[in-house]
Amino acid sequence: MNIGWYLAVSALVFCIGAAGVLTRRNPVVILLCLELMLNAGNLALIGFARMWGNSQGQVFAMIVMVVAACEVTIGLGLIVAIYRRRLPIDVDELRELQG
Amino acid sequence: MSVALAAARLHGPHIDWGGLSPILALLGGAVVVLLVGLAPRREVRRLVASGLALVAFAAALGCTIWQWDASKSIVSGALRVDDLALAVNLILVSAGAATVLLSWRARASGEAGHGEFYALVLTSTAGMSVLVAAQNTVSLFLGIELLSIPLYVLCATELHRSPSLESGLKYLVIGSVGSATLLYGLAMIYGATGSTDFDAIASAIASGGLASDPLLLTGIALVVVGLAFKSSVAPFHQWTPDVYEGAPTPITTFMAVATKAAALGIFLRFFDVALVSAQVSWAPALAALATISIVVGNVGALGQSSLKRLLAYSAVAQAGYLLAGVVVSTRAGARATVFYLAVYLLMNLAAFAVVVARERETGLGDDIAAVEGLGASRPWLAWPMTIAMLSLAGIPATAGFVGKLFLIQASADGGYTWLGVVIVVGSMVSLAYYLRVVAAMWMRPGPSLGATEAASPYPAIAGGSPEADPDAIGTSTPAAPPAGDGGPGAGAREGFQPEVVGLALAAGAATVFFGIVPSPLVDLARAAGNSLLGLF
Amino acid sequence: MTATTFGWLVLLFPLAGTVVLGLGWRSLPGRSAGWIGTAAIAASFACAVVCLAALQSHHPGARQLTSTLWDYAVTVGVDARLSILVDPLAVMMILVVSGISALIHLYSVSYLWSDRGYARFFSYLNFFVFSMLLLVLAGNFLVLIIGWAFVGAASYLLISFWYRRTTATRAGIKAFVINVVGDVGLVLGTYFILKHTGTLDFVKTFNAVPHVFARDDGDLVAGCVLLLVGAFAKSAQIPLHTWLPDAMEGPTPVSALIHAATMVTAGVYLIARLHPLFERAPAAADVGAVIGCLTLVVAATIALAQTDVKRVIAYSTMSQIGYMIMGVSVGAYAAGLFHLMTHAFFKALLFMAAGSLIGAMAGEQSLNRMGGFRRAMPFTYAAFVVGGLALSGVPPFSGFFSKDEILLVTGERGGWHWILYVAGYAGALLTAVYTFRLIFRAFHGEPVKEATELEHGHLAHADHPFNPATGEEEDTDVGFPGPEHHIAERDPPMRLAMGVLAVGALVAGLVQIPKVDFVIDHFLHPSFADSALYEVRTKNGLLAVGLIVGTALGLAGVAIAYRIWVTRPGTAAAIQARLTFVHRLLVNKWYFDELLDLLFVRPGAWMGRFAQQTFERVVVNEALVGGTTGLVRAGSAAVRAAQSGFVRYYAGVLVIGIAAVSLYFLLQS
Repeated sequence: MNIGWYLAVSALVFCIGAAGVLTRRNPVVILLCLELMLNAGNLALIGFARMWGNSQGQVFAMIVMVVAACEVTIGLGLIVAIYRRRLPIDVDELRELQG
Repeated sequence: MSVALAAARLHGPHIDWGGLSPILALLGGAVVVLLVGLAPRREVRRLVASGLALVAFAAALGCTIWQWDASKSIVSGALRVDDLALAVNLILVSAGAATVLLSWRARASGEAGHGEFYALVLTSTAGMSVLVAAQNTVSLFLGIELLSIPLYVLCATELHRSPSLESGLKYLVIGSVGSATLLYGLAMIYGATGSTDFDAIASAIASGGLASDPLLLTGIALVVVGLAFKSSVAPFHQWTPDVYEGAPTPITTFMAVATKAAALGIFLRFFDVALVSAQVSWAPALAALATISIVVGNVGALGQSSLKRLLAYSAVAQAGYLLAGVVVSTRAGARATVFYLAVYLLMNLAAFAVVVARERETGLGDDIAAVEGLGASRPWLAWPMTIAMLSLAGIPATAGFVGKLFLIQASADGGYTWLGVVIVVGSMVSLAYYLRVVAAMWMRPGPSLGATEAASPYPAIAGGSPEADPDAIGTSTPAAPPAGDGGPGAGAREGFQPEVVGLALAAGAATVFFGIVPSPLVDLARAAGNSLLGLF
Repeated sequence: MTATTFGWLVLLFPLAGTVVLGLGWRSLPGRSAGWIGTAAIAASFACAVVCLAALQSHHPGARQLTSTLWDYAVTVGVDARLSILVDPLAVMMILVVSGISALIHLYSVSYLWSDRGYARFFSYLNFFVFSMLLLVLAGNFLVLIIGWAFVGAASYLLISFWYRRTTATRAGIKAFVINVVGDVGLVLGTYFILKHTGTLDFVKTFNAVPHVFARDDGDLVAGCVLLLVGAFAKSAQIPLHTWLPDAMEGPTPVSALIHAATMVTAGVYLIARLHPLFERAPAAADVGAVIGCLTLVVAATIALAQTDVKRVIAYSTMSQIGYMIMGVSVGAYAAGLFHLMTHAFFKALLFMAAGSLIGAMAGEQSLNRMGGFRRAMPFTYAAFVVGGLALSGVPPFSGFFSKDEILLVTGERGGWHWILYVAGYAGALLTAVYTFRLIFRAFHGEPVKEATELEHGHLAHADHPFNPATGEEEDTDVGFPGPEHHIAERDPPMRLAMGVLAVGALVAGLVQIPKVDFVIDHFLHPSFADSALYEVRTKNGLLAVGLIVGTALGLAGVAIAYRIWVTRPGTAAAIQARLTFVHRLLVNKWYFDELLDLLFVRPGAWMGRFAQQTFERVVVNEALVGGTTGLVRAGSAAVRAAQSGFVRYYAGVLVIGIAAVSLYFLLQS
């Protein structure tokens, strides 16, 4: 199969993720969308690894998965901390810092 | 038998422990500090954790100096230990150690748990060390994430304060978008060149005539954005003022100084090593970003009343200046950038240390009013701040002037004279807001602090959990006195803070010293610049 | 330790003194500030002496020692270093500067004692000495320019020392402005030289000059003339001399230090230091010689008609500096510097004696009100006479040998230099006349009220402190010199300083007696080894003529003065009446101030008015500044508005940025 298809899917996933970050207000959903964006990168990496026939892209993808997991953990931890302060779970409400 | 066979087959990769030693010292320190965080007594946790963190930084500093003048690839070519990495490492480790000193009495470290707090600072510094040594897109990405993820947490460590949480979440969301962008760009570069190794990428671009390959160029574009984001270059800077303001001030200091140094370090290495053959394509874009950054940063800083926001916008502008050294892609440019990074460390440390000290003394937070009349009441704090402001603005006889001189000269020599002019114009505009701070310190009477200070004691060490002080919820000023806080020393107004004042004085003195005797820093920067072998 | 180490130490002590006094001015008790300042300069002088000894131990061919403390910015394309050059010329200058300064500090310990700004004064004074030493020790143009500018700034501070006296601040500003004109000349001149030689270092420049410049090369002459502008401004030569008489507003020790012994000789030093350039550009050197000669005559004539004690001495200084400038410009380097040294002794002495006299008059400086102080102030009188005889060039006082040597070498050059030679002797006659006019009018004749009171032991005190220049009343915070007055007869430090200088004025000339010894010649030779003019030796015939004529003119001048102002007191008035026009010309200082005013100040003021009223209001304020500030303000508002605080909005901007950058890169492919 042509590499172009893999890239197209990957780009589509990336855009879906980006659009999600822009439109959703719930930080949990935003975290999900960030995962989508990272995984779009993974998909591209693995596609290219197959194209070049070397393993560097695959190793990269594995490491990205670990990193993505870390990010989500931190994100969820923050959301819990915000919830415990009884602050709204809505990124649009968090705009005390501006200007 | 089978065990013996397996042992015989297993050729462990050669590991250059010496080259890795700075990173190992930091990470080892992080583990130990984390364990100390389990100690039963709070005071033990505070003293031992911060002490051990300082020891770890000192060890890392020692290892960095020990490795000086090395030039080798380690971990199968994933990292490169050379003078550029080591010089930036010196800056990073100094910034980390300074952060530990500034956090000594900070609320944040108490609320997060001392062990965790200092371990995160150490880990983040280790990530930066990996980043500046990265010679492979994988280690580049790993380094960026290793530095960012602890920072997301550190920003949010003042749990009782909603701006701190807000800044953590904002940084996380925007930072992750930046990371994802960077990753996608790195993937595209891999796709175009077939390698993740910087040297292999460089030779693929040079030999394959890829300089105008759309896939590669898109990849470069995305990497530019990702790195510009980390070094807060406009228009990807918008997280900077908010996060700087919201984060605990010691962490803001760390972000301002160390993150910028690491990001600029990898800018130099990635663009001047891996992508040097495509310089004609990316240099104009970077120059444009530098210009936007200088304009936006300097203009944005004009109307600020919060010192941290002001310094954040100033950081955006300074990122623009620093980028000029990357744009020209010459050794002189790399030299100028490294020199300015070192100077930047000193000036910002002096400024932020004063902000930290005044935050704790006055209860006015980081508002510019907190430094009014400082010249008369606290000359030992006013002088470092004055020096820092003048140096940031680039007044002669300060290190900032020499740094700007080198950057302007590098731009002019590299064919970007107009960028040098932009730097000069930007510096002139910047005088307006830097001098405002200086004027506030020396020309205005101090706020009637007697009453303010007495009325709103700001505890130095606020141990205890967020639940312990429910009154503080939702208040944005750190002045709110915690109710029932059991931390030692809580409720006592912070008076003399020798480590903060000492740090401010040392950084201020060094700023003047290197403004008059720049040669030691020039030597450092020259070694760093010369380690970029592909340039001339 | 080497000679250069002591060179650095010479600089270190006054700097340390400045810092100590500057930081401790509030807390230093009693006269400690004065003693600290004096000790710093005395230590500096001691180091200069050791430096001299260390230098003399080198082989004569190796007495140009450069020492670099650090490289400031060698990578920026020019070799900007902090380096000093220790050679016989520099050592002679540091000896003169630190030695005379130490004595003047000592004098000031008493003289300014009752002034409120005691510590401030010594801090400024130490700073001045540091700057001056930096200037003469400079090893390259950059350090020279720094020292040059520092000296100008220190001079401004000291002239305006009594800063609530408007005449003093105005005089300070005038001196500063004219000095800045000189600074600009110096910087531009340096640029002209640097452009061709590519180095700022003195020794390297001198080595390069014969290779890169043809004789009278256009750029070299332009550069040298610009350097001369700097020299003229510092040394108060026509037409940049008008600040010096006004600078007498400063305290008298300042006049002695800055406006007699040290700062005003900087121009002489500059020409001597840069002699390889001037010898390569004889046209520029001729400009220097002519201006020097013109100044010496004009200033001497003006001094004849002035009535303010300090101003007479100030014009005399200008005139004597004219001799030196003329000397070093025609190649009489050793003679010019010799005169610089002797002049430092006797002129500082004269100023100190004048200070004592002014103290006795309770601040009054006008000769018209003085008289008959001979018996009341014998010590001051003796000092004045010794200084006056040295100034008039009467043998065996020091001025006689140095002045005549300058004129001898000038005559030796032949050709049109004969005009300078004759004018120089004419000036010598005038010098003797105005000097003894001063002495006879102040010390002879009928004792004035203050003098008779003093003989009875009462030192005069004015009812109200007043400004001697305008007669306005003032408060003692700025007052002259504080509520108390000090005279040499009563203050040992003043007496000691004047005594040492008097001995110097008497015997300093003996180091270089024609045909007997050539100490200065030999000592300075290594600095001028590359000079073609240095070896010119006087022919015996001219030497004899010069010595005889010089002696005769000096004595004749004294005699004329005696006849006019002592034996026939009415003569002066008669001459004034007959030569009204000349007198008015001289009293008004040849109308130089008015001329400069007409030529430069008024057109400048008119242009300034035009610029302010028309150009600035319409073009700059409304179009440029208004537009720019408006733009910046709008930009600031826009940036802050963009910082809305919405995370999603930031992410949106980020995505737009990604799109824009990607688009740019895709367009490249």
